[in-house]
Amino acid sequence: MSGPNHHKGWESSEFPILCGSCLGDNPYVRMAKEQFGKECKICQRPFTIFRWVPGAGMRMKKTEICQTCAKIKNVCQTCVLDLEFGLPVEVRDTLGGIQDDMPTSDVNKQFYVHHAEQAMADGTLTQASAGGKMDPAGREQLKKLARTEPYYKRNRPHLCSFYAKGTCNRGDECPYRHELPVTNELAHQNIKDRYYGQNDPVAKKILNRTDRSGHLDAPEDPSITSLFLQNVEPDITEADLRGFFYAFGDIRSIVISKRSRVAFINYTTREGAERAVEKSFNNCNIKGHVIRVQWGKPKQQGPKSASHADAATTSREPTVDEIASLDAIPPPPGAGGPVRYSAMDPTQLGQVPLKKVLGEM
Amino acid sequence: MPKIKKARTKPPPDGWEEIEPTLTELNQKLREAENEPHEGKRKAESLWPIFRVHHQRSRYIYELYYKRHVISKELYDYCVNERYADATLIAKWRKPGFERLCCLQCIQTRDTNFGTTCVCRVPKDKLETGRVVECRHCGCRGCSG
Repeated sequence: MSGPNHHKGWESSEFPILCGSCLGDNPYVRMAKEQFGKECKICQRPFTIFRWVPGAGMRMKKTEICQTCAKIKNVCQTCVLDLEFGLPVEVRDTLGGIQDDMPTSDVNKQFYVHHAEQAMADGTLTQASAGGKMDPAGREQLKKLARTEPYYKRNRPHLCSFYAKGTCNRGDECPYRHELPVTNELAHQNIKDRYYGQNDPVAKKILNRTDRSGHLDAPEDPSITSLFLQNVEPDITEADLRGFFYAFGDIRSIVISKRSRVAFINYTTREGAERAVEKSFNNCNIKGHVIRVQWGKPKQQGPKSASHADAATTSREPTVDEIASLDAIPPPPGAGGPVRYSAMDPTQLGQVPLKKVLGEM
Repeated sequence: MPKIKKARTKPPPDGWEEIEPTLTELNQKLREAENEPHEGKRKAESLWPIFRVHHQRSRYIYELYYKRHVISKELYDYCVNERYADATLIAKWRKPGFERLCCLQCIQTRDTNFGTTCVCRVPKDKLETGRVVECRHCGCRGCSG
């Protein structure tokens, strides 16, 4: 019962289709190939499986779905995430506007996969067109969502079930991870739902995040011209921030609080601040750190600029450069127009009103 | 070891009386290891104690003959013939780099996917730090030379 006739419809391949995260960080990865080692978890046909260890301290990984199924959806054979963006199929199809007609029932699926395989052999169906035409706006959005670097944490060993029960007697030799499992909405993922793009908890989480993101409403108070940044890691300098945010408008000042990892960007004009929020909201990545951008909140009272105060170093609450207060102070002679440069702001350069200084003494 | 003692069975060489108690004790240990219950053990784990006693018994005779030179050639040959010592394992121990070899399975490269030896043969400084090894063949924790 062997020979090529018996293996008709089985998939034999020379090289796996994998993403960078699944391959691991070792460029000299060593793989074992097994012909018809397992059945594909989607179409149930025997296929060639590959096994490898993706780097030190990682678990052994293997290909889970056959190459035809992977090509139909343009996904990694192991993690079933999109090859281009590393995102779940559901996210890619929803945002990219891809209509999918892959059947899920047994016989229909076999028929579909068989035809897809023939079309790929003829060259009428290529891997890129298999995913369908993606709309350009959706592609841009997917690019923003996609990880820029591989995510090797996915390759860690599985959790030790004996440890969770408190009965693992292998101690340090145990190749499984000794951590307690966390139960959240991400705990129930499965490969079929991921592949077909149905009730995928990961996709739901990512899509929730993007729904909220669209854009940020500008505050009603027109005097607010500052941005509040979070996750400003210590290696980000003022020059880095200035380089990123200068493109949107003139910056009056930048205040960084190393301790609380926040920063304020104060623009001279409202338009600049609005443009900056529009462009950089959910899209601010400096030196590999994702920075959260929000509007600053108006400061209640006081003529002193927030940018001038070192209060920002202690409070995480967004305080703002209050140029509304500038109206109370008579503008310097000859300066009738809007404040354009920091030198034109009398609250800068240590020109704290005398009353305040005396009060502090 | 002689299964049946017959009239024609040759008497053991000189010095046998000195090593006999130790060997009987080790034999007894081997019996105990064989009869140990396997419940609660992993599949690979169940043979580990037997490998350990087998290693210990061969090691005893190897030390006496090749290291301390206290037994005669005749007695050594007798022990090997009677299967008290594993001649193939001892042959490996005499080679440089294999002085502490745990078992023969661990150097059998034909049995592995990539033609490598067992992980217990890897020197400690070549392993990533903090890695604890317990090889699946015999439970060895490292036997590099």
